[in-house]
Amino acid sequence: MFEKKLGSAFMIAGAFAAALASVETAKAENADQEKCYGVALKGKNDCAAGPGTTCAGSASKNYQGSAWKYVAKGTCTAIVTPKGKGSLEPIAN
Amino acid sequence: MAPSPEFDQEEFVRALLDPDLPPPAGLKATHDLPPLRRFAVYRNNVVVGLIDALAERFPVCLRLVGEEFFRAMALRHVRRSLPRTPLLFEYGEDFAEFVAGFEPARSLPYLPDVASLEYAMGRACHAVDATPLPLDLVRSLPLERLEAATASFHPSTQVVPSDYPIVSIWRANMATDPPRSLTLDHAEDALVVRPRLDVEAHALPSGGSAFIETLMGGGAFGEAASAASRRAKDFDLTANLRMLLASEALTAINI
Repeated sequence: MFEKKLGSAFMIAGAFAAALASVETAKAENADQEKCYGVALKGKNDCAAGPGTTCAGSASKNYQGSAWKYVAKGTCTAIVTPKGKGSLEPIAN
Repeated sequence: MAPSPEFDQEEFVRALLDPDLPPPAGLKATHDLPPLRRFAVYRNNVVVGLIDALAERFPVCLRLVGEEFFRAMALRHVRRSLPRTPLLFEYGEDFAEFVAGFEPARSLPYLPDVASLEYAMGRACHAVDATPLPLDLVRSLPLERLEAATASFHPSTQVVPSDYPIVSIWRANMATDPPRSLTLDHAEDALVVRPRLDVEAHALPSGGSAFIETLMGGGAFGEAASAASRRAKDFDLTANLRMLLASEALTAINI
């Protein structure tokens, strides 16, 4: 049975040896290259006070939640769903 | 200054989160502005600060929906869910769950999973450091005993399952060049790990989440391979082992 064979010591040893060889080859090839992803996260969250939080005394109700009327205006329009183009119409409520 | 006798902390919090409520009783101001206005400033600062924290924590979600949508959505979340610890980097734990139930975001079904991925990446950023298992050591392992061996993982390691290509969406938005078109025609379970200084998100091969979750639960390699092949008919053991080694998520293989 496939599953039993897959779980066998022989299968795992073989797959592991192949994986190790492939990783080592890739590592040798990429030794001089920079990674194309792996953006370091900035540790900005230790202080949330910043612009917009001054005690100017100007904002009494800026952040009250009135009727929802916002439409997503970001990069989600670049994403195509299997049902067609990105559907960004706000849901009527 | 001691709070006045009629001060009620719960009333204070309610008024802090609802601009339609009057300021708490017993409020006094020692400066020029009346208490109502000073309380309004404080209320605004608390909410803006937490919205900013969420915007820093979920930058891809913000890019996906835009600033205005994100901040309005974050406001709803802030009002419902204040930080539970003084550690701001833990804030946003239940943001993905909130987004999943947030009606105006329903047209973006992948958004909650992208939020989960971003939260996992933040956790990985703050996880304890550990040294990844060196390949030299891996090479000397008795491979015939690997079936019964278990694995130890870097403390930053997390699996984020999704029915959507969340890693591709994340990369498309975090790259410096503008996001290209992306099709939601495949699923990507993400492996998040920070082997050294950089947090990395990898798209796992088919069956990868079952494979790694079994190993993380203390299961042996043989058990993990069986579990993954039961879950995914096209499970490729070599590809998954390659991912495990290349991502440097392991700190030890215990034979």
